[in-house]
Amino acid sequence: MSPSLAWYRRLVLGVPSLIAGAGGGTLLFLWGHPVLATAVVVAALAVAVVGGVLAGRFQRTWGYAEAPEELYLTYGVLVRQLLVVPYGRMQVVDVTADLLEQALGIATVRVRTAASTADTRVVGLGLTEAVELRDRLASRSESFSTGL
Amino acid sequence: MGPQAPPGSYPPPSAPFGQGPVLLPPNVGWRPPPVRRARPEDDVTRGEFRSHWSIVPAQVVAVTLAFAALIGPILTTFGFAWVAMMTVAVVFGSLAHALPSWWYGTFGLREDHLVVHSGLAMRSSREIPLSRLQAVDVVRPLLMQVFGMAELRIELAGGDHSAIRLRCLRRSLAERLRTAVLAHAAGLPGRSPEAPEWPFYRLPFPLLLGALTFRVPILLSFVALLMLLTAGIVFVEPGVAAALIPLVLGLLRYYWGPLARYTDYYASLSSDGLRLRYGMFQRRMQTVPPGRVQAVRVVEPLLWRALGVARVEANVAGYAGERQGESATLLPVAPRRLAFTLVNELFPDSDAARVPLVPNRERGGSLVGVDEHLFVSTRGAFCRITEIVPVERVQTLRITAGPLERLTGRVSVDVDTPPGPVRAHAALREASEGRGLLDALVAHGRRARVPEAGTERWATRSTQAGPSDRAPDASGTGESPGSHL
Repeated sequence: MSPSLAWYRRLVLGVPSLIAGAGGGTLLFLWGHPVLATAVVVAALAVAVVGGVLAGRFQRTWGYAEAPEELYLTYGVLVRQLLVVPYGRMQVVDVTADLLEQALGIATVRVRTAASTADTRVVGLGLTEAVELRDRLASRSESFSTGL
Repeated sequence: MGPQAPPGSYPPPSAPFGQGPVLLPPNVGWRPPPVRRARPEDDVTRGEFRSHWSIVPAQVVAVTLAFAALIGPILTTFGFAWVAMMTVAVVFGSLAHALPSWWYGTFGLREDHLVVHSGLAMRSSREIPLSRLQAVDVVRPLLMQVFGMAELRIELAGGDHSAIRLRCLRRSLAERLRTAVLAHAAGLPGRSPEAPEWPFYRLPFPLLLGALTFRVPILLSFVALLMLLTAGIVFVEPGVAAALIPLVLGLLRYYWGPLARYTDYYASLSSDGLRLRYGMFQRRMQTVPPGRVQAVRVVEPLLWRALGVARVEANVAGYAGERQGESATLLPVAPRRLAFTLVNELFPDSDAARVPLVPNRERGGSLVGVDEHLFVSTRGAFCRITEIVPVERVQTLRITAGPLERLTGRVSVDVDTPPGPVRAHAALREASEGRGLLDALVAHGRRARVPEAGTERWATRSTQAGPSDRAPDASGTGESPGSHL
């Protein structure tokens, strides 16, 4: 996976926590609670740092492999998961990229099956790579199609 | 009979000249034989239909009653004339909505598609390829039974809101339409007769009553109910009502509900799949075509094991959301042996009882196994649940290891199917074992999915596949019900 994924996660988690820490700290300082204000800022910093470290590890745990008839996916820092999706069971394959992902040049390939329990996404691919993967998956899901 | 012209294309007087004794002049009082006017319901494959007209007064009455019950008490303060005027306004308002929406809400079969028009301000027309349907139900609630009406539900795979509900049809029309819809789904012409069926199981009422009563939670709540009642009567304490009401509500839901729903339960097998008829106040007739059952579980509560009975529930892609609770049960109470016979009928050429099961070494009682057709997992010390998923129906496979499980070197294997009561998984297996299970499932799934090319148009497909393919299937469905009766 692209290292931008780690930066994506860091920004998604870090920026709001830093803003919340700075805003909350300033407000509390103005209201005359300097101790509380420091605590809030430290907590926000800690969240940002831990999140940043975890985001790096999270990015390294992501992986996918295309077997002849199924897609393997693995991810997770705290809860490790290995997912197997047969190509013939894929109903929808789409590529999404929100604003931040677009800025970082990455995209998410989302695979939907008839089962709603599994979260089958391939995150943090480069845009061209994501489009190629989607096309490959879509054509394979057609050729292995077995209905529901 | 010979080829018949469609009625109405020839003028009726020309008919007697072509046939019969033409030498005799017709009597003065001769009339064409009383030909029964061809009613549009006789051939449901053509033309457009709409709900029975009685849905309009029914809707108007319902809206007016709701209005009178909700707003009436407030309006009485303004005097009787106001109430009467408002009621008349509501009657006409609801009539103005119900009448056109009934008139424009038509449906009809076009080739093997069902076209449904609906909506008044926002017209919508849905076209449903019938080969994709998941189940067909004819439902008759009490009021509809009284008036001879029925509701036809066609379940599609899209979840809770994708079902087609054709309300308030004349019963004969609903039944004909169901036959035609199933015939189209099977790939046959729409006018083909209903597929023959073989009786599979009729649930005797004493067994239903006994099995529903003979369960630990029900028995305990009955005991609690009696104790509370006696306490309330002896000490003349109205406060017990606070505890009685939730208890009675729970009993109504879990005891009276299934009892009324599954009275007069009858299951049969046909080439259109499993056919279920049941219900006292709400008569239902469900048809689950072959290959539509995604996963099955056999539930045996603690006391039922002593009786040797079980309950069978299934995941069918259409029975999602609120309808899952009321439609997902295939056999409410049946002997255990019969429950597994049904499972084998649903998943042909496989035997759920013969799958080699591996026990979990530390957590007693949980078994899991996979062979080339089925994934089977059994768990639960008190209420034993056996979950069975055919490997070709597996949607995704997952191995999960949380932080605690990683410390102990264990993993959980989940086998995902379309949503329903069955959530097949093997919890807390050793890592190598879990991985082996996953690899076996992947390998068997690959092999199983190749010959199975979808489940649409099952009738014509099996004829195309040739007699060698068809023979074991036909004998399998034909012989097994007989062996159990």
